[in-house]
Amino acid sequence: MRIDWSQYDPGGFYDELISSPGQPRAAARVLANYLKSLSDQKLARRQRAAELAIEEMGVTFTVYSEGENIDRAWPFDIIPRVIALREWRQIEAGLQQRITALNLFIDDVYNKQRIVRDKVFPQALISSSKDYLPQCAGFSPRFGVWAHICGSDLVRDGDGTVYVLEDNLRVPSGVSYMIQNRSVAKRVFPELFRRQSILPVDDYPAALFDMLASLSPRPLDYPEIVVLTPGIYNSAYFEHAYLAQQMGAELVEGSDLVVGSDDCVYMRTIDGLQRVDVIYRRVNDDFLDPEAFREDSLLGCPGLLRAWRAGKVALANAPGCGVADDKVVYTYVPDMIRYYLDEDPILANVPSYRCEDAKQREYVLANLKDLVVKPANESGGYGMLVGPQSTAKEREKIAALVQRRPRNYIAQPALALSTAPTVVGRHLEPRHLDLRPFILSGKSTYVTAGGLTRVALRKGSLVVNSSQGGGSKDTWVLDSGGRA
Amino acid sequence: MLSRVAERLYWTARYIERAENTARLLNAFKLLMLDLPRGVGLSWAQLIDISGGHDDFKARYRSVNERNTRLFMLADRDNPGSIISCLNMARENLRTTRDIAPSESFESVNELLMFVRRRVGAKRQGDHNYEFLSQIVQRCQAITGLLAGTMSQDAAYQFVRIGRNLERADMTTRILDVGSATLIASDAELERLEHRLWTWLLNALSAHQAYRQSVRRQVSAPVAAGYLLHDSLFPRAVLHTLGQIRACLKQLPRNGVPLRAVGRAERLVRESDLHEIFPQRFHVFIDDIQVALGDIHQAIQRTWFEPVARRPAAR
Repeated sequence: MRIDWSQYDPGGFYDELISSPGQPRAAARVLANYLKSLSDQKLARRQRAAELAIEEMGVTFTVYSEGENIDRAWPFDIIPRVIALREWRQIEAGLQQRITALNLFIDDVYNKQRIVRDKVFPQALISSSKDYLPQCAGFSPRFGVWAHICGSDLVRDGDGTVYVLEDNLRVPSGVSYMIQNRSVAKRVFPELFRRQSILPVDDYPAALFDMLASLSPRPLDYPEIVVLTPGIYNSAYFEHAYLAQQMGAELVEGSDLVVGSDDCVYMRTIDGLQRVDVIYRRVNDDFLDPEAFREDSLLGCPGLLRAWRAGKVALANAPGCGVADDKVVYTYVPDMIRYYLDEDPILANVPSYRCEDAKQREYVLANLKDLVVKPANESGGYGMLVGPQSTAKEREKIAALVQRRPRNYIAQPALALSTAPTVVGRHLEPRHLDLRPFILSGKSTYVTAGGLTRVALRKGSLVVNSSQGGGSKDTWVLDSGGRA
Repeated sequence: MLSRVAERLYWTARYIERAENTARLLNAFKLLMLDLPRGVGLSWAQLIDISGGHDDFKARYRSVNERNTRLFMLADRDNPGSIISCLNMARENLRTTRDIAPSESFESVNELLMFVRRRVGAKRQGDHNYEFLSQIVQRCQAITGLLAGTMSQDAAYQFVRIGRNLERADMTTRILDVGSATLIASDAELERLEHRLWTWLLNALSAHQAYRQSVRRQVSAPVAAGYLLHDSLFPRAVLHTLGQIRACLKQLPRNGVPLRAVGRAERLVRESDLHEIFPQRFHVFIDDIQVALGDIHQAIQRTWFEPVARRPAAR
């Protein structure tokens, strides 16, 4: 049996490929027609071929269970998600605008705090933020950029509006999977790449290298760039190794580095000590430098912060930039854009309630059943309440937490995440998804063409995390000619 | 190249070589035991001594028998020298050098480890033991071949070669030591079996065929020992491995101290007069060589692996 698009029913959700039963969206028309030409067997065979390719390429993520690390094959769905170039250009501009404002904000927070003086942003939020690092105050990195690598999560609601769900500014991961997904998709659907103009994504490692090189404190042709990984027990170790390999940078662990009495950072090599110019660190702030932060950290290197403040080494992302990666701070991003750039936000924030505000808190507590309540500082969906799927007990628990620490919580209406056709057995069924584009900021700004599409493989589920049954898709930004 | 990466590649090679040698040793010993008359003063305890795990074994096993010995040397995760431990360590080292070592090498070691775990887990092993151990040997050789055939012959590969050769020299001297133990034994029966015993020593190192071709003499203790120590062409002869290590060291930076350590070991082996040493001083002599091999390891460790404690002077 072949795919019959008139039988595919997203059930009231916005579907990325199909606008109404039997009707593909303009950008997805070639893809939908092509899929229609494949028999169920052929489709299943391609899915298997993709899974085999992933295994062969060794694309894995690490799950820690029963005291052992297990490398799991990266779950991938062969049906791509398609975005029209014209829409993408809007999103891209919105992301650039956002990261520019966020970087201005971080630089301001650690320096003059104009935004506080002008009463646009409350001082209390800074002093109560656990990601604000007093050790960084009074310093400004090159170009005033703190968040060099940002992964923003975008979702589309039922009416088709794209919202920014959060800005991941600490050590966002997933970009290597975006690149691997593309190389698998090219093997699976070479015809479609020939027939259409799909924007490439594999220039990311080169763009990352250029951005990092632009941060080097020494004007050299070949700055020494390293990727600092917490090690193999980190779930994203594959990505750290992959990016290092692609950039031709050394993959180092904390113990490979040493800070000299000259405040320069060196790595231990078989030729002796070798100076390091730029560190793309995938180690969290807390663990970065036992001299400045957590004393018990074995993952970092003593003296890194000192070297950074002395201008002898660049750190990407800069320590302390997590201050802007806080769900309460998130609610102020549209204000930041207006304040720093004097522009209207291009991309919308999800409407949010700040629990610290008495009136808004009252509303949140009265409507817990319809809202998603999120702690300000957690990632990966921890400590969250999804109202519509919650029990009375869970709601009581979160209500108590909100009342005790209102600053730590925000609430948002539950969004009807968009769907896309996904292979389930031998058929296609709608599954919910999100999108994580990656934005690089140095001397200039770069946005990936598309990003990593994550899909909840369980029916009806909204959880896209790979550790919790999520998968991923290739993302096609499609240039169908004409004016973008 | 990072010191840590160099160190992990060096150990990867040592562990793979050690796993292979241990499997070979177990197989050869079993065959020897089958050949020797009952009551001869050779026991499984000697095999445990060769592996260097004497105290460890005594602490955890009640009796020395074939079953326990095999368990200890093959499947005991608490014995750092067991085949399963070696493969585990090799795998962890490769996992953390994924950006340098060929990706197939990790996969091969991983598969081999899974294979050994499965077989050890399955209850019935007795009869298939020989075939099982031979497979381990073959698959280790395949991994060594994979590294040789796919790694760029740069510094990274030199560390692999050094590790492999140092481990070989170590195993050869350990096996020679078994011979020395029997040389000074007063057991008249054992003396009579000298020929058979030294043939076994050669077999344990896959050296019998090569010995026959190049020495063309009846196997006797001094001649066989001389071959395993002095031959410059046989891959497991001590002098040959030292020559290999020397060649590798020459391609690395700051190699003065390690080269001198190799030079000392070479002189010790080359300038020895076995007729003078045999039989009484042979054990002590083997000990001296092992100390010299340990010195080479120390020199390599200090030169390239050890975290640099001192901070560099300001520029």
